[in-house]
Amino acid sequence: MSENPYQTYDARILEVKDLTSREKLFTLRFLDPEVEAKFDFRPGQFVIVDIRGFGEFPISICSSPTRRGYLQLCIRKVGRMTKFVHKMKEGDVVGIRGPYGNGFPMEKMEGSNLILVAGGLGMAPLRSVLWYAIDTGKYENVWLLYGTKAYEDILFRDEIIHLLKHGEAMNCSVKLAYEVESPSCIYLEQGFSDRVCRGVVTDLFRGEEFDVNRAYALICGPPVMYKFVIKELLDRKLSPGRIYMTLERRMRCGVGKCGHCVVGTSVSMKYICQDGPVFTYWDALSTRGLI
Amino acid sequence: MRYIKLPSENFGKFFKSLEAWGSVYAPVKRGGIYSFQEVHDPAEIALDYNRTMLPPKKFFFRPKEAILRLKNGHWEENLEAEPTVLFGLHSCDIHGLKILDRVYLDEPADPYYKSRREKTLIIGISCMPDEYCFCKSLGTHFAMDGFDLFLHELPDGWLVRIGSVRGHEIVWENGELFEEVTDEDLANFKEFEEKRAKAFQKEVPQEGLADMLDLAYNSPVWKKYAEICLACGNCNLVCPTCRCYEVCDRWMDAYSSVRERRYDSCFMENHGLVAGNYNFRPTRLDRFRHRYYCKSYFDPSSGYNCVGCGRCDEFCPAKIEHVKVLEEVRGSLK
Ligand SMILES: Cc1cc2nc3c(=O)[nH]c(=O)nc-3n(C[C@H](O)[C@H](O)[C@H](O)COP(=O)(O)OP(=O)(O)OC[C@H]3O[C@@H](n4cnc5c(N)ncnc54)[C@H](O)[C@@H]3O)c2cc1C
Ligand code: SF4
Ligand code: SF4
Ligand code: FES
Repeated sequence: MSENPYQTYDARILEVKDLTSREKLFTLRFLDPEVEAKFDFRPGQFVIVDIRGFGEFPISICSSPTRRGYLQLCIRKVGRMTKFVHKMKEGDVVGIRGPYGNGFPMEKMEGSNLILVAGGLGMAPLRSVLWYAIDTGKYENVWLLYGTKAYEDILFRDEIIHLLKHGEAMNCSVKLAYEVESPSCIYLEQGFSDRVCRGVVTDLFRGEEFDVNRAYALICGPPVMYKFVIKELLDRKLSPGRIYMTLERRMRCGVGKCGHCVVGTSVSMKYICQDGPVFTYWDALSTRGLI
Repeated sequence: MRYIKLPSENFGKFFKSLEAWGSVYAPVKRGGIYSFQEVHDPAEIALDYNRTMLPPKKFFFRPKEAILRLKNGHWEENLEAEPTVLFGLHSCDIHGLKILDRVYLDEPADPYYKSRREKTLIIGISCMPDEYCFCKSLGTHFAMDGFDLFLHELPDGWLVRIGSVRGHEIVWENGELFEEVTDEDLANFKEFEEKRAKAFQKEVPQEGLADMLDLAYNSPVWKKYAEICLACGNCNLVCPTCRCYEVCDRWMDAYSSVRERRYDSCFMENHGLVAGNYNFRPTRLDRFRHRYYCKSYFDPSSGYNCVGCGRCDEFCPAKIEHVKVLEEVRGSLK
């Protein structure tokens, strides 16, 4: 493989699936078998997608390393480059480099309960954790608290509904909060009245007790969400060191050179791309501007 | 360290001998400012220059460069590096390069920076501070490594410190140009350094600096200066340790494209902009403060991100003075 960290590797789009009107799921595989064999990652890591001649952008890996042979990215159409990707079809080739970042400390959390708190697109990196936990069976219980705008915005809707129905058998319990009412939501709510409600993701904490010494929280969502979710967790006396969050910044290089993702002050500066994107709440307490 | 003397009368020959190692760049005066330019005749060099506008980082991390070229759907690397001699770097700039090294040579190394760095000889030269310099207070006024040769001015020549194997080789191959150092030379060297130490007019008081600045996060002083600042980004461009870059792809014709990178500045509004127009540093105040925090960040392995070269003061159109801002912010804590 190339010594040049900016070089990207050809990956073929095996499948493109509409998840919502704004998000598509891309399933990719590297063309070069050597690259394919070497590519390994941890939940929470990201790659840089390269549309040659148009530019690059960072995207979290939303598939799990337990399922090899392909890579999945959930991409929201927000601007120039993501619009371009959304036009791409099965068989097209993109460039990929990575994986980058630290990812979630999956080994360290083995044997514990995992509380995944996702808001909107934050579901993408946490899906990797979710499937990793289910596939390895190394975690006692997994809660997924997922807040979404409307029924139509639920990412991986089939999988979420499947887990609502059958999650118990996999030690996984899913709770869903939606903000905009619709017939589909009401139908869901009727079916799972204890786990689906109208509201925001923090409403899903109501009535939940968890053993704070045997649980870890993993959070991903829009910037405004962190403060509120963290408050809920701290109120339940979860240690800041057991609260993990994955963050987002403008990124160009992904490897700690371009300076765009740097946050902090004179006492503590962090590169989100290298020191993160996963941080604990302790990190947020010692580095200004992290959340 | 090995010390040797280059007598004044041999300077010209020594300088010519450097051409065997690569193209030689040295500070020259153009208009009112100094810059590193290719030099063939030692008479062109401004040996007593204060500072160049662009620091030597431009040789390793280019203001603008194509890093990849698209050929038949694949990126080809563009790793040309010419053997180069940088003659006449001041100590602060050598320290500046060491800070850039920590970023660009750290794994995964930036191959463009690395190949140029490996092909470049660094020759330092002693200097006298002017009203902008504050390197002494940051400990960057003397380079202990990071050069191949370092020339210290003596009344009748130069005391040369040899800092690398390549430095040894140059001296070895031109043995006839050098002499052993005498006691008189040492006395002169000492005298020069003492005189120089006394000549500094500015200093950053370091005691607890990083914490004081952090504590003063909401100080009105940041706001006061952010209002004067023009957000032109000059201070970033001229800083020997600023290294942010932006990347964009550019089509050359219907079949080929280049991926270019160029200097970026944290004063630009889009520096922290992400999708959906969300900005992590939305105001000029945020961006102004960020630069000061970045420069005053203390890394245990390489020190502050500022080497006290004084460029940002000299080239700031709003006449904002780095040390004064730090002092005022710190003072506002009382
Ligand atoms: C670690 C990480 C993981 C991410 N994971 C996902 C994911 O799983 N799914 C998803 O849809 N999006 C994800 N994003 C956001 C995604 O990178 C942006 O939506 C995308 O870069 C927007 O590019 P654009 O050209 O379409 O948008 P424009 O708004 O046109 O962007 C202009 C430029 O700004 C840069 N930029 C804009 N937004 C971001 C951003 N949020 N982060 C970094 N650079 C940005 C891009 O490089 C782009 O060139 C992630 C971002 C980060 C940092
Ligand atoms: S911050 Fe100013 S004085 Fe410090 S190294 Fe940069 S340009 Fe020089
Ligand atoms: S050079 Fe001066 S005016 Fe320009 S951005 Fe820097 S501090 Fe502001
Ligand atoms: S993305 Fe370039 S430094 Fe982090």
